[in-house]
Amino acid sequence: MHPAPSIILFTILSGFGFGVITWIGILQYFSMVSSLEVISFSILGGFFAVIGLISSTFHLANKKNAIKSFSQWRSSWLSREAVASVICLSLVFINVSFVFFEKYSLSLVGITASIFSFITVFTTSMIYAQLRSIPAWNTMLTPLIFLSASILGGAILLKQDYALYGLVFFSVIQLLFWVYSDSSEKNMKTNLSTALGFNENNSIRSFDKAHTNQNYLLNEMVYKVGRKHSKRIRYISFLFAVLIPSGLILLNNHDSYLVAFIFSFLHLLGLYFSRWLFFAEAVHVVSFYYEGN
Amino acid sequence: MTDLPKCENKKLGLLIDLDICVGCHACVVSCKEWNSSGDTKQLSDVNAHQKEPIGTFLNHVHSYEKENMDKNESEPFYFPKSCLHCEDAPCVTVCPTGASYKRPEDGIVLVNEDDCMGCGLCAWACPYGARELDLLSGVMKKCTLCVDRIDNQDLPEEDRVPACVKSCPTGARSFGDFNDPNSKVSKISRDRSGVDLMPEMKTKPVNKYLLPRIKSNFDKELDRKESSELNVSGFLSWVDKALDKL
Repeated sequence: MHPAPSIILFTILSGFGFGVITWIGILQYFSMVSSLEVISFSILGGFFAVIGLISSTFHLANKKNAIKSFSQWRSSWLSREAVASVICLSLVFINVSFVFFEKYSLSLVGITASIFSFITVFTTSMIYAQLRSIPAWNTMLTPLIFLSASILGGAILLKQDYALYGLVFFSVIQLLFWVYSDSSEKNMKTNLSTALGFNENNSIRSFDKAHTNQNYLLNEMVYKVGRKHSKRIRYISFLFAVLIPSGLILLNNHDSYLVAFIFSFLHLLGLYFSRWLFFAEAVHVVSFYYEGN
Repeated sequence: MTDLPKCENKKLGLLIDLDICVGCHACVVSCKEWNSSGDTKQLSDVNAHQKEPIGTFLNHVHSYEKENMDKNESEPFYFPKSCLHCEDAPCVTVCPTGASYKRPEDGIVLVNEDDCMGCGLCAWACPYGARELDLLSGVMKKCTLCVDRIDNQDLPEEDRVPACVKSCPTGARSFGDFNDPNSKVSKISRDRSGVDLMPEMKTKPVNKYLLPRIKSNFDKELDRKESSELNVSGFLSWVDKALDKL
Protein backbone atom coordinates (compact mmCIF):
# COMPACT_ATOMS: atom_id res chain seq x y z
CA MET A 1 0.00 0.00 0.00
CA HIS A 2 1.07 3.55 -0.64
CA PRO A 3 2.31 5.05 2.66
CA ALA A 4 0.69 8.48 2.31
CA PRO A 5 2.23 10.92 4.84
CA SER A 6 -1.18 12.52 5.47
CA ILE A 7 -2.62 9.21 6.68
CA ILE A 8 0.45 8.22 8.69
CA LEU A 9 0.49 11.59 10.46
CA PHE A 10 -3.26 11.35 11.00
CA THR A 11 -3.08 7.96 12.74
CA ILE A 12 -0.07 8.93 14.85
CA LEU A 13 -1.00 12.46 15.92
CA SER A 14 -4.68 11.74 16.54
CA GLY A 15 -3.70 8.50 18.29
CA PHE A 16 -1.35 10.44 20.58
CA GLY A 17 -3.89 13.23 21.17
CA PHE A 18 -6.65 10.77 22.04
CA GLY A 19 -4.21 8.85 24.24
CA VAL A 20 -3.55 12.03 26.24
CA ILE A 21 -7.31 12.64 26.53
CA THR A 22 -7.86 9.06 27.71
CA TRP A 23 -5.23 9.46 30.45
CA ILE A 24 -6.26 12.91 31.63
CA GLY A 25 -9.88 11.75 32.05
CA ILE A 26 -8.78 8.80 34.17
CA LEU A 27 -6.31 10.86 36.24
CA GLN A 28 -8.98 13.52 36.77
CA TYR A 29 -11.48 10.90 37.91
CA PHE A 30 -9.08 9.65 40.56
CA SER A 31 -8.10 13.25 41.45
CA MET A 32 -4.48 12.65 40.60
CA VAL A 33 -4.02 15.90 38.66
CA SER A 34 -4.68 19.60 39.31
CA SER A 35 -7.37 21.56 37.43
CA LEU A 36 -4.62 23.44 35.60
CA GLU A 37 -3.20 20.13 34.39
CA VAL A 38 -6.66 18.94 33.33
CA ILE A 39 -7.21 22.11 31.31
CA SER A 40 -3.79 22.29 29.70
CA PHE A 41 -3.49 18.61 28.81
CA SER A 42 -7.07 18.34 27.57
CA ILE A 43 -6.34 21.25 25.24
CA LEU A 44 -3.03 19.71 24.20
CA GLY A 45 -4.65 16.32 23.53
CA GLY A 46 -7.48 17.98 21.64
CA PHE A 47 -4.96 19.98 19.63
CA PHE A 48 -3.07 16.85 18.50
CA ALA A 49 -6.33 15.01 17.77
CA VAL A 50 -7.56 17.91 15.64
CA ILE A 51 -4.23 18.30 13.82
CA GLY A 52 -4.39 14.58 13.02
CA LEU A 53 -7.97 14.79 11.80
CA ILE A 54 -7.16 17.83 9.66
CA SER A 55 -4.16 15.98 8.24
CA SER A 56 -6.46 13.11 7.21
CA THR A 57 -8.57 15.49 5.12
CA PHE A 58 -5.51 16.25 2.96
CA HIS A 59 -5.91 12.83 1.52
CA LEU A 60 -9.50 13.40 0.42
CA ALA A 61 -9.81 14.07 -3.29
CA ASN A 62 -13.18 15.81 -2.95
CA LYS A 63 -13.09 17.64 0.39
CA LYS A 64 -16.38 19.48 -0.06
CA ASN A 65 -18.31 16.29 0.72
CA ALA A 66 -16.34 15.51 3.90
CA ILE A 67 -19.26 16.62 6.08
CA LYS A 68 -21.31 13.72 4.66
CA SER A 69 -18.94 11.25 6.31
CA PHE A 70 -20.92 11.59 9.55
CA SER A 71 -23.95 9.92 8.00
CA GLN A 72 -23.09 6.21 7.65
CA TRP A 73 -22.22 5.27 11.24
CA ARG A 74 -24.44 2.20 11.00
CA SER A 75 -22.22 0.41 8.49
CA SER A 76 -18.92 2.27 8.05
CA TRP A 77 -16.02 2.34 10.52
CA LEU A 78 -14.68 5.53 8.93
CA SER A 79 -18.02 7.21 9.58
CA ARG A 80 -18.11 5.83 13.15
CA GLU A 81 -14.67 7.30 13.69
CA ALA A 82 -15.84 10.71 12.52
CA VAL A 83 -18.85 10.59 14.85
CA ALA A 84 -16.88 9.22 17.84
CA SER A 85 -14.13 11.83 17.46
CA VAL A 86 -16.63 14.70 17.41
CA ILE A 87 -18.46 13.34 20.47
CA CYS A 88 -15.15 12.91 22.27
CA LEU A 89 -13.86 16.39 21.42
CA SER A 90 -17.20 17.94 22.45
CA LEU A 91 -17.01 16.18 25.81
CA VAL A 92 -13.45 17.43 26.23
CA PHE A 93 -14.66 20.96 25.52
CA ILE A 94 -17.49 20.65 28.05
CA ASN A 95 -15.13 19.18 30.63
CA VAL A 96 -12.54 21.92 30.17
CA SER A 97 -15.25 24.61 30.40
CA PHE A 98 -16.57 23.15 33.65
CA VAL A 99 -13.13 22.90 35.17
CA PHE A 100 -12.24 26.41 33.99
CA PHE A 101 -15.40 28.28 35.02
CA GLU A 102 -16.67 26.36 37.99
CA LYS A 103 -13.26 25.70 39.45
CA TYR A 104 -14.23 22.13 40.18
CA SER A 105 -14.02 19.03 38.12
CA LEU A 106 -17.15 17.27 37.00
CA SER A 107 -15.11 14.13 36.71
CA LEU A 108 -17.89 12.05 35.08
CA VAL A 109 -17.67 14.19 31.92
CA GLY A 110 -13.91 13.72 31.91
CA ILE A 111 -14.08 9.96 32.27
CA THR A 112 -16.78 9.77 29.55
CA ALA A 113 -14.50 11.76 27.24
CA SER A 114 -11.79 9.31 28.16
CA ILE A 115 -13.99 6.34 27.16
CA PHE A 116 -14.99 7.98 23.88
CA SER A 117 -11.35 8.76 23.21
CA PHE A 118 -10.53 5.05 23.51
CA ILE A 119 -13.50 4.20 21.26
CA THR A 120 -12.31 6.72 18.66
CA VAL A 121 -8.87 5.10 18.41
CA PHE A 122 -10.56 1.71 18.17
CA THR A 123 -12.75 2.91 15.27
CA THR A 124 -9.66 4.31 13.53
CA SER A 125 -7.93 0.96 13.78
CA MET A 126 -11.01 -0.90 12.51
CA ILE A 127 -10.89 1.12 9.27
CA TYR A 128 -7.78 -0.93 8.49
CA ALA A 129 -8.53 -4.13 10.40
CA GLN A 130 -11.84 -4.66 8.56
CA LEU A 131 -10.19 -4.98 5.13
CA ARG A 132 -10.06 -8.63 4.02
CA SER A 133 -8.34 -7.44 0.86
CA ILE A 134 -5.21 -6.61 2.91
CA PRO A 135 -4.55 -9.82 4.90
CA ALA A 136 -1.73 -8.33 7.03
CA TRP A 137 -4.19 -5.82 8.53
CA ASN A 138 -7.15 -8.15 8.83
CA THR A 139 -6.34 -9.17 12.41
CA MET A 140 -7.21 -8.11 15.96
CA LEU A 141 -3.54 -7.18 16.34
CA THR A 142 -4.30 -4.04 14.31
CA PRO A 143 -6.69 -2.54 16.91
CA LEU A 144 -4.32 -3.73 19.65
CA ILE A 145 -1.34 -1.95 18.15
CA PHE A 146 -3.28 1.29 17.53
CA LEU A 147 -4.76 1.27 21.04
CA SER A 148 -1.55 0.31 22.83
CA ALA A 149 0.41 2.98 20.92
CA SER A 150 -2.20 5.59 21.81
CA ILE A 151 -2.34 4.70 25.52
CA LEU A 152 1.45 4.48 25.65
CA GLY A 153 1.88 7.92 24.04
CA GLY A 154 -0.37 9.47 26.70
CA ALA A 155 1.41 7.60 29.49
CA ILE A 156 4.88 8.77 28.40
CA LEU A 157 3.68 12.35 28.64
CA LEU A 158 1.53 12.10 31.77
CA LYS A 159 2.35 9.07 33.88
CA GLN A 160 5.80 7.71 33.35
CA ASP A 161 5.55 5.09 36.13
CA TYR A 162 2.85 3.40 34.06
CA ALA A 163 4.63 4.13 30.78
CA LEU A 164 7.19 1.40 31.51
CA TYR A 165 4.41 -1.21 31.64
CA GLY A 166 2.99 0.38 28.50
CA LEU A 167 6.33 0.11 26.74
CA VAL A 168 6.55 -3.60 27.55
CA PHE A 169 2.97 -4.22 26.40
CA PHE A 170 3.42 -2.17 23.22
CA SER A 171 6.67 -3.86 22.28
CA VAL A 172 5.09 -7.31 22.66
CA ILE A 173 2.17 -6.29 20.40
CA GLN A 174 4.53 -4.63 17.93
CA LEU A 175 6.74 -7.72 17.65
CA LEU A 176 3.69 -9.99 17.32
CA PHE A 177 2.35 -7.72 14.60
CA TRP A 178 5.59 -7.94 12.61
CA VAL A 179 5.68 -11.71 12.99
CA TYR A 180 2.03 -11.93 11.91
CA SER A 181 2.57 -9.57 9.01
CA ASP A 182 5.47 -11.68 7.68
CA SER A 183 3.59 -14.97 8.09
CA SER A 184 0.39 -13.60 6.53
CA GLU A 185 2.36 -12.71 3.44
CA LYS A 186 3.90 -16.18 3.25
CA ASN A 187 0.70 -18.10 3.99
CA MET A 188 -1.71 -16.02 1.98
CA LYS A 189 -4.76 -17.95 0.76
CA THR A 190 -4.97 -15.74 -2.29
CA ASN A 191 -2.68 -16.20 -5.26
CA LEU A 192 -2.97 -15.60 -8.99
CA SER A 193 -4.79 -18.94 -9.40
CA THR A 194 -7.57 -18.11 -6.94
CA ALA A 195 -7.67 -14.57 -8.31
CA LEU A 196 -8.52 -16.05 -11.71
CA GLY A 197 -10.98 -18.60 -10.31
CA PHE A 198 -8.90 -21.79 -10.69
CA ASN A 199 -9.46 -24.08 -7.74
CA GLU A 200 -6.04 -25.70 -7.87
CA ASN A 201 -2.75 -23.88 -7.80
CA ASN A 202 -1.61 -23.54 -11.37
CA SER A 203 1.57 -22.18 -12.72
CA ILE A 204 0.34 -18.98 -14.34
CA ARG A 205 2.29 -15.93 -15.37
CA SER A 206 1.49 -12.66 -16.99
CA PHE A 207 3.01 -12.22 -20.44
CA ASP A 208 1.76 -8.76 -21.24
CA LYS A 209 0.69 -5.65 -19.35
CA ALA A 210 -2.97 -4.74 -18.98
CA HIS A 211 -2.00 -1.11 -19.49
CA THR A 212 1.28 0.39 -20.59
CA ASN A 213 1.48 3.13 -17.94
CA GLN A 214 0.77 3.66 -14.28
CA ASN A 215 -2.80 3.96 -13.04
CA TYR A 216 -4.58 4.60 -9.75
CA LEU A 217 -4.47 0.93 -8.74
CA LEU A 218 -0.73 0.66 -9.26
CA ASN A 219 0.02 3.95 -7.49
CA GLU A 220 -2.24 3.29 -4.54
CA MET A 221 -2.34 -0.46 -3.93
CA VAL A 222 0.34 -2.24 -5.92
CA TYR A 223 2.85 0.20 -4.46
CA LYS A 224 6.09 -1.24 -3.21
CA VAL A 225 8.76 0.88 -1.64
CA GLY A 226 11.62 0.42 0.78
CA ARG A 227 11.02 -3.32 1.20
CA LYS A 228 14.74 -3.89 0.89
CA HIS A 229 15.24 -1.83 4.06
CA SER A 230 12.25 -3.17 5.95
CA LYS A 231 14.35 -4.97 8.60
CA ARG A 232 16.53 -1.91 9.20
CA ILE A 233 13.51 0.38 9.45
CA ARG A 234 12.02 -2.01 12.03
CA TYR A 235 15.17 -1.68 14.14
CA ILE A 236 15.12 2.13 13.88
CA SER A 237 11.44 2.19 14.78
CA PHE A 238 11.90 -0.09 17.79
CA LEU A 239 14.91 1.92 18.94
CA PHE A 240 13.04 5.22 18.97
CA ALA A 241 9.56 4.03 19.91
CA VAL A 242 10.58 1.67 22.71
CA LEU A 243 14.25 1.45 23.69
CA ILE A 244 15.20 5.14 23.90
CA PRO A 245 12.04 6.19 25.84
CA SER A 246 12.50 3.20 28.21
CA GLY A 247 16.11 4.11 28.89
CA LEU A 248 15.37 7.78 29.39
CA ILE A 249 12.46 7.09 31.74
CA LEU A 250 14.57 4.72 33.81
CA LEU A 251 17.33 7.35 34.05
CA ASN A 252 15.15 10.37 34.59
CA ASN A 253 11.82 9.72 36.24
CA HIS A 254 9.39 12.55 35.51
CA ASP A 255 11.02 15.72 36.69
CA SER A 256 9.22 18.05 34.31
CA TYR A 257 6.63 17.99 31.57
CA LEU A 258 9.14 19.53 29.17
CA VAL A 259 11.37 16.46 29.51
CA ALA A 260 8.31 14.21 29.20
CA PHE A 261 7.38 16.05 26.02
CA ILE A 262 10.80 15.38 24.52
CA PHE A 263 10.45 11.67 25.40
CA SER A 264 7.02 11.66 23.73
CA PHE A 265 8.45 13.27 20.64
CA LEU A 266 11.17 10.60 20.34
CA HIS A 267 8.54 7.91 20.85
CA LEU A 268 6.30 9.41 18.14
CA LEU A 269 9.27 9.57 15.79
CA GLY A 270 9.80 5.83 16.23
CA LEU A 271 6.09 5.27 15.81
CA TYR A 272 6.23 7.13 12.49
CA PHE A 273 8.64 4.52 11.12
CA SER A 274 6.46 1.71 12.46
CA ARG A 275 3.31 3.19 10.91
CA TRP A 276 5.15 3.83 7.66
CA LEU A 277 6.00 0.12 7.51
CA PHE A 278 2.40 -0.73 8.44
CA PHE A 279 1.38 0.74 5.09
CA ALA A 280 4.47 0.10 2.97
CA GLU A 281 4.68 -3.61 3.84
CA ALA A 282 0.97 -4.38 3.50
CA VAL A 283 0.16 -6.37 0.37
CA HIS A 284 -3.21 -5.77 -1.27
CA VAL A 285 -4.54 -8.87 -3.05
CA VAL A 286 -5.14 -6.92 -6.28
CA SER A 287 -1.32 -7.07 -6.66
CA PHE A 288 -1.64 -10.69 -7.82
CA TYR A 289 -3.34 -9.61 -11.05
CA TYR A 290 -0.31 -7.46 -11.81
CA GLU A 291 2.58 -9.37 -10.35
CA GLY A 292 1.47 -13.00 -10.47
CA ASN A 293 2.50 -15.40 -7.75
CA MET B 1 -27.45 4.12 4.47
CA THR B 2 -24.76 2.00 2.90
CA ASP B 3 -26.12 -1.20 4.37
CA LEU B 4 -26.43 -3.91 1.76
CA PRO B 5 -29.98 -4.40 0.51
CA LYS B 6 -31.52 -7.82 -0.07
CA CYS B 7 -31.65 -8.27 -3.83
CA GLU B 8 -34.35 -10.85 -4.37
CA ASN B 9 -35.72 -9.75 -7.73
CA LYS B 10 -32.76 -9.56 -10.03
CA LYS B 11 -29.02 -10.05 -9.95
CA LEU B 12 -27.66 -8.43 -13.07
CA GLY B 13 -24.14 -9.27 -14.06
CA LEU B 14 -21.74 -10.47 -16.72
CA LEU B 15 -20.67 -13.93 -17.77
CA ILE B 16 -17.19 -13.84 -19.28
CA ASP B 17 -15.88 -16.75 -21.32
CA LEU B 18 -12.07 -16.90 -21.17
CA ASP B 19 -12.11 -19.61 -23.84
CA ILE B 20 -13.47 -17.16 -26.39
CA CYS B 21 -11.82 -13.87 -25.40
CA VAL B 22 -9.05 -12.97 -27.82
CA GLY B 23 -7.71 -10.04 -25.79
CA CYS B 24 -8.51 -7.34 -28.35
CA HIS B 25 -9.35 -4.69 -25.69
CA ALA B 26 -12.48 -3.61 -27.61
CA CYS B 27 -14.46 -3.81 -24.34
CA VAL B 28 -11.91 -1.55 -22.62
CA VAL B 29 -12.11 1.06 -25.35
CA SER B 30 -15.89 1.00 -25.77
CA CYS B 31 -16.33 1.19 -21.98
CA LYS B 32 -14.12 4.25 -21.78
CA GLU B 33 -15.88 5.82 -24.77
CA TRP B 34 -19.41 5.24 -23.51
CA ASN B 35 -18.65 6.29 -19.95
CA SER B 36 -16.93 9.49 -21.04
CA SER B 37 -19.82 10.72 -23.14
CA GLY B 38 -23.55 11.17 -23.01
CA ASP B 39 -25.17 11.51 -19.60
CA THR B 40 -22.18 10.29 -17.62
CA LYS B 41 -19.32 12.46 -16.45
CA GLN B 42 -15.82 12.17 -17.88
CA LEU B 43 -13.45 9.30 -17.17
CA SER B 44 -10.48 11.62 -17.20
CA ASP B 45 -6.98 11.28 -18.58
CA VAL B 46 -4.01 13.26 -17.30
CA ASN B 47 -1.11 14.00 -19.70
CA ALA B 48 -3.07 12.17 -22.39
CA HIS B 49 -0.66 13.15 -25.16
CA GLN B 50 2.49 13.58 -23.12
CA LYS B 51 5.18 11.45 -21.68
CA GLU B 52 3.50 9.75 -18.75
CA PRO B 53 -0.22 9.50 -19.45
CA ILE B 54 -2.43 8.20 -16.65
CA GLY B 55 -6.14 7.65 -16.99
CA THR B 56 -9.23 6.15 -15.44
CA PHE B 57 -10.61 2.90 -16.83
CA LEU B 58 -13.43 0.71 -15.56
CA ASN B 59 -12.30 -2.38 -17.37
CA HIS B 60 -8.87 -3.94 -17.99
CA VAL B 61 -7.73 -6.93 -19.98
CA HIS B 62 -4.82 -8.88 -18.49
CA SER B 63 -2.83 -11.43 -20.48
CA TYR B 64 -1.68 -14.66 -18.85
CA GLU B 65 -0.22 -17.98 -19.82
CA LYS B 66 -0.89 -21.22 -18.03
CA GLU B 67 1.81 -23.83 -18.00
CA ASN B 68 0.88 -27.24 -19.35
CA MET B 69 3.31 -29.60 -17.63
CA ASP B 70 2.44 -32.61 -19.81
CA LYS B 71 3.37 -30.89 -23.01
CA ASN B 72 6.11 -28.61 -21.70
CA GLU B 73 4.45 -25.59 -23.20
CA SER B 74 2.06 -22.87 -22.10
CA GLU B 75 -1.45 -21.91 -23.09
CA PRO B 76 -2.17 -18.20 -23.32
CA PHE B 77 -5.50 -16.71 -22.31
CA TYR B 78 -6.89 -13.23 -21.82
CA PHE B 79 -8.66 -12.02 -18.73
CA PRO B 80 -11.00 -9.01 -18.83
CA LYS B 81 -11.73 -7.64 -15.36
CA SER B 82 -14.36 -5.13 -14.29
CA CYS B 83 -16.63 -4.76 -11.25
CA LEU B 84 -18.19 -8.10 -10.25
CA HIS B 85 -21.20 -6.46 -8.53
CA CYS B 86 -20.68 -8.65 -5.44
CA GLU B 87 -23.62 -9.68 -3.28
CA ASP B 88 -21.55 -8.95 -0.15
CA ALA B 89 -19.82 -5.93 -1.61
CA PRO B 90 -17.21 -4.71 0.91
CA CYS B 91 -16.84 -1.45 -1.05
CA VAL B 92 -20.42 -0.48 -0.20
CA THR B 93 -20.37 -1.00 3.55
CA VAL B 94 -17.06 0.81 4.13
CA CYS B 95 -18.31 4.02 2.46
CA PRO B 96 -18.59 6.78 5.09
CA THR B 97 -20.65 9.23 3.05
CA GLY B 98 -23.31 6.97 1.59
CA ALA B 99 -22.08 7.57 -1.96
CA SER B 100 -21.56 3.84 -2.59
CA TYR B 101 -24.70 1.80 -2.83
CA LYS B 102 -26.15 -1.37 -4.24
CA ARG B 103 -29.37 -0.92 -6.21
CA PRO B 104 -32.00 -3.02 -4.42
CA GLU B 105 -33.96 -3.79 -7.61
CA ASP B 106 -31.12 -5.44 -9.55
CA GLY B 107 -28.03 -5.49 -7.32
CA ILE B 108 -25.91 -3.16 -9.45
CA VAL B 109 -23.20 -1.49 -7.33
CA LEU B 110 -23.09 2.25 -8.04
CA VAL B 111 -21.48 5.47 -6.80
CA ASN B 112 -23.46 8.64 -6.31
CA GLU B 113 -20.74 11.08 -7.31
CA ASP B 114 -22.49 14.02 -5.64
CA ASP B 115 -21.90 12.38 -2.24
CA CYS B 116 -18.38 10.96 -2.76
CA MET B 117 -15.56 12.67 -0.82
CA GLY B 118 -12.79 10.77 -2.61
CA CYS B 119 -11.30 9.05 0.45
CA GLY B 120 -10.52 5.93 -1.58
CA LEU B 121 -11.44 3.46 1.17
CA CYS B 122 -13.85 1.57 -1.14
CA ALA B 123 -11.02 1.03 -3.62
CA TRP B 124 -8.92 -0.41 -0.77
CA ALA B 125 -11.78 -2.66 0.31
CA CYS B 126 -12.28 -4.12 -3.18
CA PRO B 127 -10.03 -7.18 -3.65
CA TYR B 128 -10.37 -6.99 -7.44
CA GLY B 129 -9.21 -3.44 -8.16
CA ALA B 130 -12.57 -2.61 -9.72
CA ARG B 131 -12.67 0.98 -8.50
CA GLU B 132 -10.48 3.87 -9.59
CA LEU B 133 -10.39 7.38 -8.21
CA ASP B 134 -10.73 9.85 -11.03
CA LEU B 135 -7.71 12.15 -10.82
CA LEU B 136 -9.46 15.23 -12.18
CA SER B 137 -12.94 15.06 -10.66
CA GLY B 138 -11.71 13.54 -7.36
CA VAL B 139 -14.57 11.06 -7.12
CA MET B 140 -14.63 7.28 -7.30
CA LYS B 141 -15.44 5.67 -10.64
CA LYS B 142 -16.59 2.14 -11.27
CA CYS B 143 -18.43 -0.07 -13.73
CA THR B 144 -22.16 0.75 -13.73
CA LEU B 145 -23.08 -2.10 -16.08
CA CYS B 146 -23.96 0.92 -18.25
CA VAL B 147 -27.15 1.70 -16.31
CA ASP B 148 -27.69 4.60 -18.71
CA ARG B 149 -27.98 2.07 -21.55
CA ILE B 150 -29.88 -0.75 -19.85
CA ASP B 151 -32.38 1.63 -18.21
CA ASN B 152 -32.90 3.74 -21.33
CA GLN B 153 -36.27 2.83 -22.80
CA ASP B 154 -35.57 5.05 -25.83
CA LEU B 155 -32.85 2.68 -27.06
CA PRO B 156 -33.89 -0.30 -29.18
CA GLU B 157 -34.03 -3.40 -27.02
CA GLU B 158 -30.93 -5.05 -28.50
CA ASP B 159 -28.88 -2.00 -27.48
CA ARG B 160 -29.96 -2.15 -23.84
CA VAL B 161 -26.82 -4.06 -22.80
CA PRO B 162 -23.51 -2.77 -21.38
CA ALA B 163 -21.17 -1.21 -23.95
CA CYS B 164 -18.51 -3.90 -23.40
CA VAL B 165 -21.00 -6.67 -24.20
CA LYS B 166 -22.27 -4.86 -27.28
CA SER B 167 -18.76 -4.27 -28.61
CA CYS B 168 -17.21 -7.70 -27.98
CA PRO B 169 -16.44 -9.06 -31.46
CA THR B 170 -16.22 -12.69 -30.33
CA GLY B 171 -19.21 -12.81 -27.97
CA ALA B 172 -17.04 -13.60 -24.97
CA ARG B 173 -19.21 -11.43 -22.73
CA SER B 174 -22.88 -12.04 -21.94
CA PHE B 175 -25.13 -9.89 -19.82
CA GLY B 176 -28.15 -11.10 -17.89
CA ASP B 177 -29.98 -11.92 -14.68
CA PHE B 178 -28.22 -14.54 -12.56
CA ASN B 179 -31.21 -14.78 -10.25
CA ASP B 180 -33.37 -16.20 -13.03
CA PRO B 181 -32.43 -19.89 -13.43
CA ASN B 182 -33.71 -19.86 -17.02
CA SER B 183 -31.71 -16.86 -18.22
CA LYS B 184 -29.02 -17.48 -20.81
CA VAL B 185 -26.21 -16.51 -18.41
CA SER B 186 -27.52 -18.78 -15.64
CA LYS B 187 -27.85 -21.74 -18.00
CA ILE B 188 -24.38 -21.39 -19.53
CA SER B 189 -22.81 -20.74 -16.15
CA ARG B 190 -24.46 -23.89 -14.79
CA ASP B 191 -23.55 -26.08 -17.76
CA ARG B 192 -19.94 -24.99 -17.90
CA SER B 193 -19.50 -24.47 -14.16
CA GLY B 194 -18.86 -20.73 -14.03
CA VAL B 195 -16.50 -19.72 -11.23
CA ASP B 196 -16.08 -16.87 -8.74
CA LEU B 197 -12.86 -14.89 -8.51
CA MET B 198 -11.12 -15.06 -5.10
CA PRO B 199 -13.91 -17.03 -3.34
CA GLU B 200 -11.80 -16.82 -0.15
CA MET B 201 -12.61 -13.10 0.06
CA LYS B 202 -16.27 -14.01 0.74
CA THR B 203 -17.61 -11.25 -1.48
CA LYS B 204 -20.00 -13.54 -3.44
CA PRO B 205 -19.41 -11.99 -6.86
CA VAL B 206 -22.38 -11.95 -9.23
CA ASN B 207 -20.21 -11.95 -12.38
CA LYS B 208 -19.06 -15.41 -13.32
CA TYR B 209 -16.08 -16.56 -15.39
CA LEU B 210 -15.80 -19.60 -17.65
CA LEU B 211 -12.24 -20.83 -17.36
CA PRO B 212 -10.18 -21.75 -20.41
CA ARG B 213 -10.66 -25.44 -21.14
CA ILE B 214 -7.64 -27.71 -21.52
CA LYS B 215 -6.75 -27.55 -25.18
CA SER B 216 -7.36 -30.91 -26.85
CA ASN B 217 -4.13 -32.82 -27.33
CA PHE B 218 -4.34 -32.30 -31.04
CA ASP B 219 -0.85 -33.50 -31.97
CA LYS B 220 -1.21 -36.66 -29.87
CA GLU B 221 -4.39 -37.47 -31.76
CA LEU B 222 -2.51 -37.03 -35.03
CA ASP B 223 0.21 -39.47 -33.86
CA ARG B 224 -2.42 -42.04 -32.98
CA LYS B 225 -4.04 -41.66 -36.37
CA GLU B 226 -0.77 -42.30 -38.21
CA SER B 227 0.20 -45.28 -36.11
CA SER B 228 -3.25 -46.82 -36.60
CA GLU B 229 -2.76 -46.60 -40.36
CA LEU B 230 0.35 -48.72 -40.04
CA ASN B 231 -1.23 -51.18 -37.63
CA VAL B 232 -2.18 -53.82 -40.23
CA SER B 233 -1.82 -57.59 -40.17
CA GLY B 234 -2.07 -60.67 -42.39
CA PHE B 235 -2.24 -60.19 -46.16
CA LEU B 236 -2.21 -56.39 -45.94
CA SER B 237 0.87 -56.54 -43.73
CA TRP B 238 2.63 -58.64 -46.45
CA VAL B 239 1.53 -56.05 -49.08
CA ASP B 240 2.81 -53.25 -46.87
CA LYS B 241 6.22 -54.86 -46.48
CA ALA B 242 6.38 -55.79 -50.16
CA LEU B 243 5.59 -52.24 -51.19
CA ASP B 244 8.24 -50.92 -48.78
CA LYS B 245 10.84 -53.14 -50.46
CA LEU B 246 10.08 -51.85 -53.94
